[in-house]
Amino acid sequence: MKGRTRRAASHPALAGYAAAFKSVPSVAVYCGAGASHSWIWFTDLLERLGIFDVRFVSHGEILHGGALDASDFLLVGGGDTYEMAGSLGEEGAAIIEEFVRDGGLYHGSCAGAYLVLDGVDLEPFTPFRLITGDMLNVMHEPPPARCLEHKYLAPYGRDWVFHPVYGEVELRPGPAADGLSVVNAARPLGAPLFGGPVLRIPDPQCRLADYAGVTDRAAFLWPRVDAERLITGRQAVAVRSLGEGTVVASGPHLEHPLFPLANALLAAVFARHHQKRVAAGPLPRATGETRARIEPDRVAPIAGYEVALLEIKRQVSNARIVGSGLEKMPVTWKIGVKVWEPEKIRMFLEYAWDRLPYLQDYAARGLPIPIRKLEALALGYGEVTGLAKTLKLAVESGEDSQAEAQTLLTGLKELTASFLSLYFRLRLEEQWRTAARYRGTDAHG
Amino acid sequence: MPSISSKEKPMDSMYYGDTLIVDLEAGRTGQVSFDEVDEAGPGLPAGLALYEKYKEFDPLIFGSGLFTGTPVPGACLGFVLGKSPLTGEPAVAPLNLFAGAEMKLSGFSMVVVKGASAKPVYLWLHDGVPDIEDASALAGKDTWDTTDGIRREMGEGLIQVICIGPAGEAGSDSAALSINYWGSGDTAALGAVMGRKNLKAVALRGLGMLDADEPEEFYDGALELLASAKVDTGFKSMCSALGAPDLDAWLSPIAHRRRACFACPATCATFVKYNEAPSVMESTDVEEPGMLIANAAAALWLMQGGWDVEAACRAMEAMAREGLDMVRGARELSETPLTDAGKITAAVKALEGSTAARWTVAEPAAPGLFGPWVPPLGGYESWLEANRIGYSLGICPTFLLLCGTDTSRLLELCVPAAGLETGQDEIAGMYG
Repeated sequence: MKGRTRRAASHPALAGYAAAFKSVPSVAVYCGAGASHSWIWFTDLLERLGIFDVRFVSHGEILHGGALDASDFLLVGGGDTYEMAGSLGEEGAAIIEEFVRDGGLYHGSCAGAYLVLDGVDLEPFTPFRLITGDMLNVMHEPPPARCLEHKYLAPYGRDWVFHPVYGEVELRPGPAADGLSVVNAARPLGAPLFGGPVLRIPDPQCRLADYAGVTDRAAFLWPRVDAERLITGRQAVAVRSLGEGTVVASGPHLEHPLFPLANALLAAVFARHHQKRVAAGPLPRATGETRARIEPDRVAPIAGYEVALLEIKRQVSNARIVGSGLEKMPVTWKIGVKVWEPEKIRMFLEYAWDRLPYLQDYAARGLPIPIRKLEALALGYGEVTGLAKTLKLAVESGEDSQAEAQTLLTGLKELTASFLSLYFRLRLEEQWRTAARYRGTDAHG
Repeated sequence: MPSISSKEKPMDSMYYGDTLIVDLEAGRTGQVSFDEVDEAGPGLPAGLALYEKYKEFDPLIFGSGLFTGTPVPGACLGFVLGKSPLTGEPAVAPLNLFAGAEMKLSGFSMVVVKGASAKPVYLWLHDGVPDIEDASALAGKDTWDTTDGIRREMGEGLIQVICIGPAGEAGSDSAALSINYWGSGDTAALGAVMGRKNLKAVALRGLGMLDADEPEEFYDGALELLASAKVDTGFKSMCSALGAPDLDAWLSPIAHRRRACFACPATCATFVKYNEAPSVMESTDVEEPGMLIANAAAALWLMQGGWDVEAACRAMEAMAREGLDMVRGARELSETPLTDAGKITAAVKALEGSTAARWTVAEPAAPGLFGPWVPPLGGYESWLEANRIGYSLGICPTFLLLCGTDTSRLLELCVPAAGLETGQDEIAGMYG
């Protein structure tokens, strides 16, 4: 874990929230069609909150796998909103709305926020109408960008969604944040805005946070003064109750691991929702305990784990070394409407790399891990290394590398979801094992 | 033995994990916790302890100093230690440029390579993972093709490759290991030891981070040292120190840029261009525009022998490609200046058969443990102290001598770095 991430992880702002999730919610993180890399940031936040009943779900699992039937939260990060909306379709929109009305929490950042605004009323977004509001960063003929041109525009009918600022912005809590202990109205909190909406939310009671300004840690695609004028005082985060549930739509990525105060604001909203649900009675959804139970046929000799884990480590290391080589090359790839830089390759890989020691320690303690899953991951990361090398050769030789990049990034996204699913499952098993031990201690005085 | 302050065990910080043992004969690697390493002291003293323990296996020890890879100025130095075929005694070769730092970041504090492989192999050390890779496709290749081949295979141009060329593969007494393309300060023919082991290369890359006991105090201290270093040094000072202030002027018609090693403010190396105009700054179609002269002593021999500068640099390129000891090679070549490319190539090739072990600089110490890589600045005692401190802490001894570093302040930094209290006398004591 890098220094700044480590400092953010130990920031006291989140310390109080883990207790709010003692009755563990079941969380689905969307990583299906259209999701970029930012969904992985939710994993940091969830870990810090001690929430380990986490699954990474695709649009297919939402549509046909009943993924939300067993979930309390659905978290959707950034990406290609067209691809998300098109893949989920009307049926997906209906499932998500029913999920919320039945008591679920929907949180969308960036693309996940655009998706659910009722003012974004254009195919394929029309069926998704969870929040009453609109986006202000849309224009028929936006002025040219001063920098980061590839990040500036996305088509929206005959108009363009544009992003005047890219990087850290300041937020000021709104009326919907009243009563949240994290809120300090005197001090704006920082959060990263990476193409998310500037919101117009008519109902003041739905305004969780407004944009308070920009910071020096941002790139200005418009002149700074114009960018500041456009966003300051506008809504950044909206929240509303819908049926028994809660909907949160956030322009900035409150879940980003380097912004602990933004994390705390999000944690506070999650906790408020969760406590309300817990107070209303037992959660109707499946508990983590039932899903976490170990299957006996998964037990393998420790040596088998060691070999498989070393192979995963070897291949993740190889792949991230190639990834770091690609980062020095002036290349980007456009997949759908989303531009991907080579840095994204290593972002995925770092999440596995940082969590491998836990798996190694878990195995060393003689605890069972599904060996076939490990072997599949080792194979998968080996393929990723090969794909990354092929991609690098294509870039170096000046060939069109679009197809190679798409194959690699799609595969890497799925593999990361698979790795993190296993990781969270083991963390959950351990959490339940510890809880059971405490219960046993209590029972025997 | 250094005293221990707050930590249970010194050097938990600044180093990764255990010592790696590579058994080339068995094709296996293993990691051991070796307490003698901690007791011996950081850097080369630990390497010497490992050498003693494994000497029946003709070991090559790859290691780094306490500060290697950190922002401490001059902290570029790692080392290779083995029995010199020239003397039968343990001798060290420096890992400078970026190889020492990458050695540290590869994830191993020390690496012991014992035995010999039945077929050509290379070691790929990355992020704490040791892999023994087949090097059949690299056999017979020169150091430039070897470096390119490994970097291409592993997909990253920043991989540091400690390798040998045909001279090392042939076990020549004139062989030196090479750091990537540019040769090295190996004057002990450790390249021949690599050749005997069928070890074509050790490739290094790590993306980790080093930790310090007290990161802020350590970092501030490193910056203070950097601020106090005499930075108006570099190649010109090196030339003066070698007693040849005109060396800089001799190279200047083809000099393209100066270069420093990792974390070093002194630009001791010069990139020269002789296949295109040295004034060309952009990348062109010329595949190999020139080479990095990282060994001023070799250039000095050729200049003093009356060589034309361009021909001399071509000869140094040829020696680097073959994996030859450039200082001894240059001394031999200096006697007969050449300009014809074919004759230069043939003369360089002929050096492979040379058994002459001519020590050129720093006569009082050579052919001892350190060899003559570091120029004899300020007298023997200063030279010896700079080597001892440098190889322990991972600071280039030439930097210590050139830049007037405050040695006591440097040693004080061992405390915030790794909880290690040590002094000049203690360091000297580590070498027996």
